[in-house]
Amino acid sequence: MKRILLACSAGMSTSLLVTKMKEAAEAKGIDVEIWAVAQDKAPKDMERADVLLIGPQMRFMKKKFGVTAAEVGIPLDVIDPMAYGRVDGEAVLNKAIELIDGK
Amino acid sequence: MNRFMEILENILMPIADKLNNNRYLTALRNGFMVALPLIIFGSIFVVIANLPFLDKVISEEAWAAYQSALGPASAATLSIMGLFVIIGIGYKMVEVNEGESIYGGVVALGSFLILTPQVLDGTSGVIPTSSLGAEGMFLGIFTAFISAELYHLFVRKNLTIKMPAGVPDAVARSFSALIPITLTLSLFLIVRIIFSYTPFDTVQNFIYTLIQEPLTALGSGLPATILAVLLIQLFWFFGLHGQIIVNSVFDPIWYALNDQNYQAFINGTELPNIVTKQFIDTFIVGIGGSGMTLAVVIGIFLIGRSRQLKELGKLGGPAGIFNVNEPIIFGLPIIMNPLVLIPWLVAPVVVALVTYFSMATGIVPKPAGIIVPWTTPAVLSGFLATGNHIMGAVLQIVNIVIVFVIWWPFLKIMDNQYYKNEQGSESK
Repeated sequence: MKRILLACSAGMSTSLLVTKMKEAAEAKGIDVEIWAVAQDKAPKDMERADVLLIGPQMRFMKKKFGVTAAEVGIPLDVIDPMAYGRVDGEAVLNKAIELIDGK
Repeated sequence: MNRFMEILENILMPIADKLNNNRYLTALRNGFMVALPLIIFGSIFVVIANLPFLDKVISEEAWAAYQSALGPASAATLSIMGLFVIIGIGYKMVEVNEGESIYGGVVALGSFLILTPQVLDGTSGVIPTSSLGAEGMFLGIFTAFISAELYHLFVRKNLTIKMPAGVPDAVARSFSALIPITLTLSLFLIVRIIFSYTPFDTVQNFIYTLIQEPLTALGSGLPATILAVLLIQLFWFFGLHGQIIVNSVFDPIWYALNDQNYQAFINGTELPNIVTKQFIDTFIVGIGGSGMTLAVVIGIFLIGRSRQLKELGKLGGPAGIFNVNEPIIFGLPIIMNPLVLIPWLVAPVVVALVTYFSMATGIVPKPAGIIVPWTTPAVLSGFLATGNHIMGAVLQIVNIVIVFVIWWPFLKIMDNQYYKNEQGSESK
């Protein structure tokens, strides 16, 4: 089970991506839990996630989230803007799994 | 061009980081988030209490009874929104320091009430509700910041009563807050007493006259508004969340202006302000999201030939109706795309000017101070924001047409480029 957390300003636009990522995971037969939160909820939710992906419009939060991520020992990254714009669930899912496996 | 963009991004990124991560601005933003459900509750009841045509259908007495029955809903929430914002700020300030956050909320509230006038027209024991709403907003924000900081300072200095082992945890906790809260509130009492010997009489009056009034006057003006709009657009052009960054500075001003209009609206007097929270949220940002991209989505459906834009329209359309437009911003793309820089910056400014002057001339009513959730679809949101007035909806449609016209040539060029590329790659 891979637990993927997405964060943006209000958790609205990333939740679009969550739906697409779940579809991609189902098609590939990967067991995942994916959810999106608003930025201020992210540090708390990181504790039960394996990876944090940040919406590119909030990329200036990477430094701050990085501190918490290091504490709980999970990788984090900013979602590629092109994949974000196309709501490319598969690409973002692959990226998330790559980050989890890479740690 | 690339070099120039790089330099600009290097300037904007640290600003975004500073504004978004500054702890006072974070607490302020989160404080407003705490108050938002109550503000929206109050707004809903203002809308229901002022349903159009109802006053013409039922008798005058029934109408008055109907309005006075629903009045307390907004009087207890929207009118005194300052209270909820202050509790929210105090709570969030202490929460980040991992203290007992609820004490942060009550110490902020207590400090604010100590500084608030407790007499109205010679009657003592009365707190004027106006000072708990718009007029007290700035004082409340400052008080919440300072009182939460002081409370935390006293806790950190260990100025607490230590309970012997065996005392239940909850009991010990209630005593642990005693000294920090007593010290904090005492300091505010001293401030109140000192101010009563000045010509300002109350701190509220002092802050209102010296800070709030000049700032809101500045914020309600066209130059500051256009600057705010341009900054939102510029941040988004670099793919940074423009509103969240700019709002953290402008929200107190916009909400205060909004509340002045709301008070006038329920009293039936002339609305004082054009620029308010809803001016920005409903007539500029709230038409498909920042940059009013609903018009761009419509443009894609009308003139799009390339597969890329058609796909994007399908992806971004439904979300755009509810003013979520990241797919369009990152997918068109708008970010770092020199071709769209002109319509991206020009269209919102033109729309801001049109909206401002249509309200200044009275063609469209000014926003009634009702807070409409930002995910409310355009046309409906304009109707609600102007106090159930059809011209609010009409103005939004006009604004969509304006954005569409400004974007049209640029969208056409982009579509042709994508179309040619697609044809080219297929024939290879």
